[in-house]
Amino acid sequence: MTSSSSPSRKALSKIACNRLQKELAEWQLSPPAGFKHKVSDNLQRWVIEVTGAAGTLYAGETYQLQVDFPEHYPMEAPQVIFLNPAPMHPHIYSNGHICLDILYDSWSPAMTVSSVCISILSMLSSSPAKQRPVDNDRYVRNCRNGRSPKETRWWFHDDTV
Amino acid sequence: MDSPVPATLARAPARPQARAGEEACADTRQDAPAEAEPPPRRPAAFYSSVFAQIEEIGWKQLVSATGDGVSCLTFRVVDEPGRMHLLEITLPMGYPESPPSISADVPYLPKIHWSKNSRLKDVICQFQAHLKILQEFWNTMDEIDKVLWIVDPTKPSYAMSHRRIALGDDCYILLQVDARKPNSLPECRFLGTDGKLDQLIINWRKNRKKWDTKKKFHENLAAVLDFALPSPPSVGDKAKDDEQADCGICYAKHLPVDDELGAHSGCATDYMCENPSCSRAFHSVCLRDWLRSITTTRQSFDVLFGNCPYCSDPVAVKITGH
Repeated sequence: MTSSSSPSRKALSKIACNRLQKELAEWQLSPPAGFKHKVSDNLQRWVIEVTGAAGTLYAGETYQLQVDFPEHYPMEAPQVIFLNPAPMHPHIYSNGHICLDILYDSWSPAMTVSSVCISILSMLSSSPAKQRPVDNDRYVRNCRNGRSPKETRWWFHDDTV
Repeated sequence: MDSPVPATLARAPARPQARAGEEACADTRQDAPAEAEPPPRRPAAFYSSVFAQIEEIGWKQLVSATGDGVSCLTFRVVDEPGRMHLLEITLPMGYPESPPSISADVPYLPKIHWSKNSRLKDVICQFQAHLKILQEFWNTMDEIDKVLWIVDPTKPSYAMSHRRIALGDDCYILLQVDARKPNSLPECRFLGTDGKLDQLIINWRKNRKKWDTKKKFHENLAAVLDFALPSPPSVGDKAKDDEQADCGICYAKHLPVDDELGAHSGCATDYMCENPSCSRAFHSVCLRDWLRSITTTRQSFDVLFGNCPYCSDPVAVKITGH
């Protein structure tokens, strides 16, 4: 499946724009290890290269995260998905949707793009096996119309991975 | 074996500053028996050699000595224009055969030339030469800070080579100056609302070849953007801004000037988490908007009750301007 179509996004509010500029400046000053922001002038969409940590199942492999910001960020969580091909992980669907609570119900404005990236790398690093989620095929079929992962009612139950 | 130490102690009382050295030596001897498994000990000659070298540099320049007494030395180094720098010199266990390592608040560190006959004063001299090389960079940054409207960082360190510059109408340019070639064309990106920004990007792409390393940085920037760059806001405003904390949600000291915000337009932070370990500041507007966006918030009359986004302690904010 090709990468998800982007949801129709309203332009960033002044507050969102200002906060993202500061996050970006901070990122450039000290980016999290293993991540590289692909430079573009689109502040509302960040594409970030993530390299698997050494000593993990994904060591040396490179994937791309797409982060889209809503109009009222950080009151609302950003939409974060892996671009195709998504890593094989029990909580990452083949369409790139990520089952991680801080991207949905547990989001807080205390988090940043940087802290979200570190959480995703941590999730990859603790993976016990390279496999898809058990309900991958059914879920991906239901998302064929380009549905956003933020519209999914996630059931977070696995704290070990 | 112990004879060199008394010799050092004998010399020490002659100078008031030397007492620090004496105390350091005493501390070392006291610490040794207290440890169950003492780390590998340095020979006594190491300490007398280091003390002699500190004396050579000048005890007044020594800011602190930590580690096993003197394995991590911090010196005050003043460059020619009078900027004060702290140079931290760490002496490895293999010193002096192994070179010391250094750290300082500079955009990049010099490569230290070292032989086993080198002295700590040589490290200081090499650092001073490095500071001389960096003067052009700092002069450029100082001029940028003086002439242009810098919104971030508000208090730049000597190591920082990036600046976010306001261009007006919510447009900004984020610059990364090359510390080795500070007058060369910087890396830059444009941030802000579209429209006016498009023209600036077009100008940058069209004109950047005209960047002249012999002209002043801000003159080059204005010429390439083909735009009159705004001056910094008055000093009074800036001094007041420095006292204000950033909001933990929108990361700004002041809310944007916006009709939608009504009476709160341009306001400073006005709420602080009551947890003394947290004390995070917020605009009540931001905190209210956040609390309204989650399902766990409770409301009683005109007050919203919830949890601090940072420490989860209870917070309460009035719904004003309903």
